[in-house]
Amino acid sequence: MQSKTKEFNPILEVNNLFASTENLPILKGVSISVKPGEIHAIMGRNGCGKSTLSKIIAGHPSYTITKGEIKFTGQDIQSLEPEERAQSGIFLGFQYPIEIPGVSNLEFLRVATNARRKFLKKEELDTFDFEDLVKEKLDLVKMDSAFLSRSINQGFSGGEKKRNEILQMALLEPKIAILDETDSGLDIDALRVVASGIKKISNEKTGIILITHYQRLLDEIKPDYVHVMSDGQIIKTGESDLALELEKHGYEWTDNFSKKQ
Amino acid sequence: MQIIEEIKKNELVKNPSEIQKICLEKLKLNPLPNIKSELWRHSNKSKFLSFLDYSHTKKESKVNFPYDNASQNVIRFTIGENSSINLKEENYSIRKLKDSEIFDYIKKNISDFDQTDHWSDLLNHCLSSKNNILGLNISGNKIPPIEILSASSYNSFNAKTLILFFEKNCEANLLQINLGDKNSSLCQSTYLCLEENTSVNHGVVSYGKNKSNLLNSLNVIQKAKSEYSLSSLHFKFNYARFEIRINQLDGDAETNIKGIQITKNEDQIATYTKMQFNGPNGILEQINKSLADDKSHSVFEGAIVVPKIAQKTDASQLSRNLLLSKHAKIDTKPQLEIIADDVKCKHGATISQLNKEELFYMRSRGLTLEEASKLQLSSYFQEIISCIPVSKDRWDLLDKLLKEA
Repeated sequence: MQSKTKEFNPILEVNNLFASTENLPILKGVSISVKPGEIHAIMGRNGCGKSTLSKIIAGHPSYTITKGEIKFTGQDIQSLEPEERAQSGIFLGFQYPIEIPGVSNLEFLRVATNARRKFLKKEELDTFDFEDLVKEKLDLVKMDSAFLSRSINQGFSGGEKKRNEILQMALLEPKIAILDETDSGLDIDALRVVASGIKKISNEKTGIILITHYQRLLDEIKPDYVHVMSDGQIIKTGESDLALELEKHGYEWTDNFSKKQ
Repeated sequence: MQIIEEIKKNELVKNPSEIQKICLEKLKLNPLPNIKSELWRHSNKSKFLSFLDYSHTKKESKVNFPYDNASQNVIRFTIGENSSINLKEENYSIRKLKDSEIFDYIKKNISDFDQTDHWSDLLNHCLSSKNNILGLNISGNKIPPIEILSASSYNSFNAKTLILFFEKNCEANLLQINLGDKNSSLCQSTYLCLEENTSVNHGVVSYGKNKSNLLNSLNVIQKAKSEYSLSSLHFKFNYARFEIRINQLDGDAETNIKGIQITKNEDQIATYTKMQFNGPNGILEQINKSLADDKSHSVFEGAIVVPKIAQKTDASQLSRNLLLSKHAKIDTKPQLEIIADDVKCKHGATISQLNKEELFYMRSRGLTLEEASKLQLSSYFQEIISCIPVSKDRWDLLDKLLKEA
């Protein structure tokens, strides 16, 4: 399969990755390579390892890599803390964004944005400058500024939480964004708002991995590649029409690929 | 233990007052608290003895407020500073209680005190001289915030007493600050009496320095239709006890208690509360939080007493605790003693650590582990601290102190 951006080196390379949690193997040899401007979709049944892959790339401390490597802009990131990965441009949009009562959303966003800006050797923003920036980004996801004064995700509806994730992505301007089931729990209108936000943020320098179960997100954001995961492995990779086939036949169709392997 | 030896030998106070005589008599047979009793069994013996280790002094060096005192419209008193107090404004008045009023009130109270339940108050009244007792009668509303400072002096044991009467229909915001100097012990007893229809928002902020000790006793009487809110913060003490006793005298009153204690190093801080309902339709909302780090020890014991007369009581008590180190220790025991059969009472306790998923979420956005932990801790404090009636410039100080804590 030819990359549409073969002139660029990959932003993210996952090579033959094996990982476990509490001695339970979850990833069993995953490989994926994402170049700037590419959109990849990862699909698969519940429990096949999609979310685990995203968390491991982001540096979740509960998982142990037992074999293989993850390279980000050519560097092995296994020894990096989650915050170092985030500051250098890896963004994970959570399937279930965490509620943190008592911590102001605005202050959290400001500290996070400044951590990224510091890494990029940009000037850190004071409260006033940050408010100007965040209000501009709020428009991308059609969020009301009232959300900023609330605690992080506390009392947010499912759709509001996902919009807040995309707002964070817009502020942090990552090199690679892994969006874990960003479409789950969204009604059609909210899905369009979120998808439109993602499209506006993404550019030729950003790589995106969409983890999803449904074609409806991929109708809004057309992927360059679709990967099917099963039991901790990528069992098939194709172009966007692979998602349509999956939608048509269901995951049982993919069992044949596993058996052939 | 010099103080205890002097109690035994009847040498603690020369020319004791009548109150001091009564209290000394109650302590003479058993000068130390019963360490097997529920109220004292968690008390670290060596730390408690270090509390008693300093020699008692009536005199003290001048206490400086820990912040600029000119910037706010605040009425401020320092226990131990002799000043005549008689404020009469259009909407309110504050006057110093007469010696006879103070004497009558304390005498009436101590007659019921037993050695186990009120050891702290009995010790206080043995030692608290006339100069170190502040009594105020407060009435009216639109009263500027009242701040009352109590402090110990370096290398000393100080006993201070505060008595506040809130007249009918009074509305007041009160901030009580207890400061422990280096190598010192402060024994603070406070009495609040809320008449009918009063509303008092009471903040207690207690913090010490190196090797400070505190014995802080608070006795509140609430009459019908009164509302009492207490928000407290205790931190930076080698050893501290906060004893809260609230009595809804006739029921039909509302009590709200929010407290937090922060222990580090090898500190021990304990909070004991006893909420007594003596009439129907009483309401209590209580939450006590603790945060224990290093090798420290945090204790909470709370009792809600609902006798038969207190039907339709609605009370809840929650103890939430955060354990930050595997060497730290937390003991918590919320308890209900209910005789009345038509009541709604609930209690609960949790002990947890910093939420790892919350930390990962923040770290995945670029915050360091330290920044994420601080934000999480600050959110943990927030629920309590935001209720303390502290003005903006005091907030800055409190914020600074909490960052050091």
